[in-house]
Amino acid sequence: MLAKLLCIADDQLRRLLAACSRWARAFRDWYRRPSTSELRGRKLLREWLSPEQLAQYDTHNYFEVTGCHTGKRYRIRHGNGANIIELDDAALPRTGWCFVPRDPLVAGDVMLAQKIALETDERGALAVANNFTPR
Amino acid sequence: MATQIIMDLNGDTRHNFDAKDVKALLEAERRFKALTGAGFTAATRTADGEPVVTRTFDPTAEETLFFPRLVGG
Repeated sequence: MLAKLLCIADDQLRRLLAACSRWARAFRDWYRRPSTSELRGRKLLREWLSPEQLAQYDTHNYFEVTGCHTGKRYRIRHGNGANIIELDDAALPRTGWCFVPRDPLVAGDVMLAQKIALETDERGALAVANNFTPR
Repeated sequence: MATQIIMDLNGDTRHNFDAKDVKALLEAERRFKALTGAGFTAATRTADGEPVVTRTFDPTAEETLFFPRLVGG
């Protein structure tokens, strides 16, 4: 009798844990959902990326741009700070660069401003940027 | 219909206007000057999709994007 009760309790406990796990996952997904502002920023970014950059972004969560003055390649990772990596000829990280719009903006907007700056005024952008050693 | 897109906390704010309407065009030019005067960069796109920074108001631009001055992060 006791063994049967323990077996039932064990089964009930497993069901309860499974349900809690599902609720926790649902809550995490809800909590991490992008805001309307973030979605709008991503949409604008996608509208302005070249087809190659868009494909790269969709695949890797980053895209690469060519500096208009030096022809150097830069990788812009999804994010809103310390997200630009200058690449060497072998496409390996050489230097990290950090410049952002003065006003707080969502990641998509920040990345788009960085892209336009490097593609149209690379020297001006790097003149205000801070650099760091990429990991 | 032409559009001015201003990056902000909401992602962006869009101002659509009829470029054939003189009053709307003047308002768009006033907005352009106010934003660039406040340090915003204005950019348009070529037919190939390449971004171009513009310092003066272009009444023929279909879409102009404004983003705040860049600073070291």
